[in-house]
Amino acid sequence: MAGCASNVTVETPTIPAPHIDKLPLDVAIRIPDEFHNFVHEENVLGRETWSINLGSANATFFEQLFGYMFDSVIILGPDDDALAYTFDALIEPKIEGFEFSVPNQSKTDAFAVWIRYRMQIFDSVGNSAASWTVSAYGKSQKEGLGGKKSLQRAAVLAMRDAAALILLQMNKATKIAALADGPINLSHFETSAMVRDESNEVASPVGLFAIGGIDNDAQ
Amino acid sequence: MTLNKVVAVALTFALGGCVTASVENDREETTGLLEGESVVVMAKSYHQGNETEADYIRCVERALSRGSSSLNVIPNQEFVDNLFPWFEPRTAPADTKGLVTLMERPGVPAAVKRMGVRYIIWLDGGTERVTQGGSLSCAAGPGGGGCFGFAWWQDDADYEASIWDLSDSESAGTVTADYSGTSFLPALVVPIPLIARTQSKACNGLAKQLRSFISSTEAV
Repeated sequence: MAGCASNVTVETPTIPAPHIDKLPLDVAIRIPDEFHNFVHEENVLGRETWSINLGSANATFFEQLFGYMFDSVIILGPDDDALAYTFDALIEPKIEGFEFSVPNQSKTDAFAVWIRYRMQIFDSVGNSAASWTVSAYGKSQKEGLGGKKSLQRAAVLAMRDAAALILLQMNKATKIAALADGPINLSHFETSAMVRDESNEVASPVGLFAIGGIDNDAQ
Repeated sequence: MTLNKVVAVALTFALGGCVTASVENDREETTGLLEGESVVVMAKSYHQGNETEADYIRCVERALSRGSSSLNVIPNQEFVDNLFPWFEPRTAPADTKGLVTLMERPGVPAAVKRMGVRYIIWLDGGTERVTQGGSLSCAAGPGGGGCFGFAWWQDDADYEASIWDLSDSESAGTVTADYSGTSFLPALVVPIPLIARTQSKACNGLAKQLRSFISSTEAV
């Protein structure tokens, strides 16, 4: 006996032009491989298998979003040497977690999607400037028989939620705009914050985590 | 179509379950709509625990924009996209105090004016099955089939619409619609559904009251 399988392909969401001022910053974005072919599979209650194919939606999403946020954006591939380019800040987004729930699980009529992105930010010479986790959520009531469109809609809403959060909170959470003045001065940080971990990577001097609403002074 | 089938279909459409309704409004300021002004219907955010169904929002939008006293309705998604990111579920103002702050942000008043939106109608609430009972069984064999029994269920549709006037960033008032409908399904060989269209009636009842509330120039 085999369970039911549902495959959902999410089309690239279009981020509308936001009503915010651009940050006066030249940034580079390193788009990881997974942003071009992200597929999440989950077996729900041992009966249904759901597969969500985000394809290259994440790559297009971040390119659009940062295009609206910053003066100029350079797109880097996973293997590009960032030091060969000139910029104020390098942003490396990645997906840290992807979860969803279907009505059978939640005992409601809604599909919900959670996406957790991590934004690593480096200055122009490669020092780690900030690390910020963005937790986004989208929910859509079940419509139709299968619910595929509702799950698609929930995923798109989660990505729009991430976009809103990044647009309104990124500078507040990471102080990325300060990198327009040049690389960070590492001497400002305590020596203990710069100890190397076992993998010999420099520990992030700034670690931030934010979930929740938008402050009124977000701008 | 045989006579029996015609009767069954006619009964299905002619008979419905019973629905009781209560629609009330609480006015806080004088309303009215000038030529070229529009309304937009929004669901309160699911970040605040709201469960208003998307099809209910669409139903209210359609009901407001038809009939002799129809209102000009801007589609919800168009409004949200034009004001991105300020009316996303996470960022939308939760009260008129937040609306005042929002209307001071660069570009926001101009975008609202461009669309001609005068009122935002925030919908909160939902329709849920509160009780059900009875039993119904069906069987089929080589010689035919049929059902026997009686089932019933009760749906409650409770919605509240808060109307915000964008011209002065104040609350104009609220309209509430509480509908309760009981559906019956008796079956003596053929099941005859007597369905109470609770949500649909709550949609039309709320929209009718909203049209009257917004169009009226009655003083507070």
